[in-house]
Amino acid sequence: MARLLDVRNLETRFYTQDGVVHAVNGVSFHVDEGETLGIVGESGSGKSVTVLSIMRLIPSPPGKITNGEVIFEGRDLLKIDEEEMREVRGNRIAMIFQDPMTSLNPVLTIEQQITEALELHLGMNHQQARRRAIELLKMVGIPAAEQRIDNYPHQFSGGMRQRVMIAMGLACNPRLLIADEPTTALDVTIQAQIVELVKRLRDEIGMAIIWITHDLSLLAGLADRIIVMYAGQVVESAPTADIYRNPRHPYTIGLLQSIPRLDEKRRERLAPIEGLPPDLIDYPQGCPFAPRCRFAVERCFEEDPPLEKVGPEHEAACWVKPVGQEVLAAWRAAVLES
Amino acid sequence: MTKYVIRRLLWAIPVLFAVGTVTFFLARALPGGPFDFAGDRSLPESVVRNLERKYNLDWPLWKQFLAYWWDLLRGDLGPSFRSRSLTVNDIIKQTFPVSFQLGMLSLLLGLAIGLPAGIIAALNHNTWLDYTSSFIAILGVSIPNIVLGPFLIWLFGVKLGWLPVARWGADYTEFYLGFIPPMTAKFWRHAILPTITLGTALSASIARLTRASLLQVIREDYIRTARAKGLRERSIILGHALKNALIPVVTILGPLFAAVVTGSFITEQIFGINGLGRHFVQSVTNRDYPVIMGTALLYAVLLIIANLVVDVLYAWLDPRIRYE
Repeated sequence: MARLLDVRNLETRFYTQDGVVHAVNGVSFHVDEGETLGIVGESGSGKSVTVLSIMRLIPSPPGKITNGEVIFEGRDLLKIDEEEMREVRGNRIAMIFQDPMTSLNPVLTIEQQITEALELHLGMNHQQARRRAIELLKMVGIPAAEQRIDNYPHQFSGGMRQRVMIAMGLACNPRLLIADEPTTALDVTIQAQIVELVKRLRDEIGMAIIWITHDLSLLAGLADRIIVMYAGQVVESAPTADIYRNPRHPYTIGLLQSIPRLDEKRRERLAPIEGLPPDLIDYPQGCPFAPRCRFAVERCFEEDPPLEKVGPEHEAACWVKPVGQEVLAAWRAAVLES
Repeated sequence: MTKYVIRRLLWAIPVLFAVGTVTFFLARALPGGPFDFAGDRSLPESVVRNLERKYNLDWPLWKQFLAYWWDLLRGDLGPSFRSRSLTVNDIIKQTFPVSFQLGMLSLLLGLAIGLPAGIIAALNHNTWLDYTSSFIAILGVSIPNIVLGPFLIWLFGVKLGWLPVARWGADYTEFYLGFIPPMTAKFWRHAILPTITLGTALSASIARLTRASLLQVIREDYIRTARAKGLRERSIILGHALKNALIPVVTILGPLFAAVVTGSFITEQIFGINGLGRHFVQSVTNRDYPVIMGTALLYAVLLIIANLVVDVLYAWLDPRIRYE
């Protein structure tokens, strides 16, 4: 498959009054045409800042992309001028956000908010844009789209608003859709509907997706590959099945252990990851996960491990790289004992 | 919406009654009376008695109160105790139009300068444009009219001799519809300096509010959504941010309108304008009860109308606000 997006060594900092926040620290990954990449990590792990950096939507000041390349369709998005970047945004790369309650403009109708991108990027006139907008609303499953298009966001429920956001994102047939925790603000049944909807649309339109979430279980049937982020770094990257079956980074293992499972016979207690993520202003020496890690050795506190190949398409940034199911069991036992 | 407006207007009746009642008794509660002095001398006891009898001030208070409302219902605001040849209706008819013109022009000037200045400052947040316009805005808010007015008179009236120094509206008596002035060069020449004097502070506060409100709205999620669509910064501000940001600005415009169109005591004094402003102040020191009542009720009526207009504008600005 052709390479669509190649992020290399991306580094984003926020220059605040309290100091420099090291939000994204040398992140590299790629997305192929039509592929779905999941990015997993807890709050503050830099996953949102990473994709906002790709879109060049980091509020600046205080934010600044200090290093790296974002090669999209053969061009480095960090080098083109603002005018060209606007041509990419909403057109080649679309983005949908976490909270559909606040991400739609409350004083504009749905029509106004969908058609503006169509008129801007595809040069449609108002009639064409309206017709296309109705089509899009039908596509994302909004009933009575012809009437609903003239409504305002507050007249929609949360799930319906996220559908509207998706319709907005898909308006110009983007090659890449970035979904920044699009289901986090929704309740579970609606979550499943939105995931199914995006999967269906992906297969119809053939776009690539970057799906950001803190919920590893959500990605199981959705993503082709997953990268796990911690403290602004990629700590593990692998095809989805490998992440679940054969995680090699202790943080990934910890995340998997904290997911409740319905397929296990005995009801076991969940094993949480103890401690807190590091302060990104006072960035730690060594591996940022080391203080919370049950496998940490001396070296982990001195040197930050690089991403290393541990299998075909599978990389992990860990000096120890624990292996196998017995490790999971050991981890669980250790956590529950303490 | 029509129903809502009608209901609000009906509600104005008890509000006005309350304002009138409180004002009536507050004014009477002030020590002293309207005929304590005539110029520097005090009047003889017998003259005061006669005057009080003439204006029914010897009646019991409740009877005076009812009589006032009875006259008011017939559109009669009563006589002025001080300017004995004039009724309160005359005073308002003569002075309100000029005050209204001055207030309206100042408010329009304030909006014409304040809105763009606030938007420019917010768009160029933390750049020299922002700092410059914020500095000018603070200057505009801080310089009192009593300094700015005489300075403008000195510069444009006395030194340069471009504009008349005072007496706006001294010659005209008739206005279209009672308050629209003739658009002559003479009118404008008289209007410029007082309008700038009163409008500067207004434009400065409108600019500051617009800037602050816009800066807050720009941080909203839906502005990020608009950016992610690839819209130009201009369309984002004008199409997505401004309507949201104007809500607080519109909120202050209601009371501000009522305040400026009923006259500015200081500006009118400086420019020798025969406006309503001084009657607010002097009627109280003179214990001129009917003028106190008349000005207070006029202010209340304007405030009620202005706030109603603001509420209707809300519904236009924010579709989440609907009145059944």
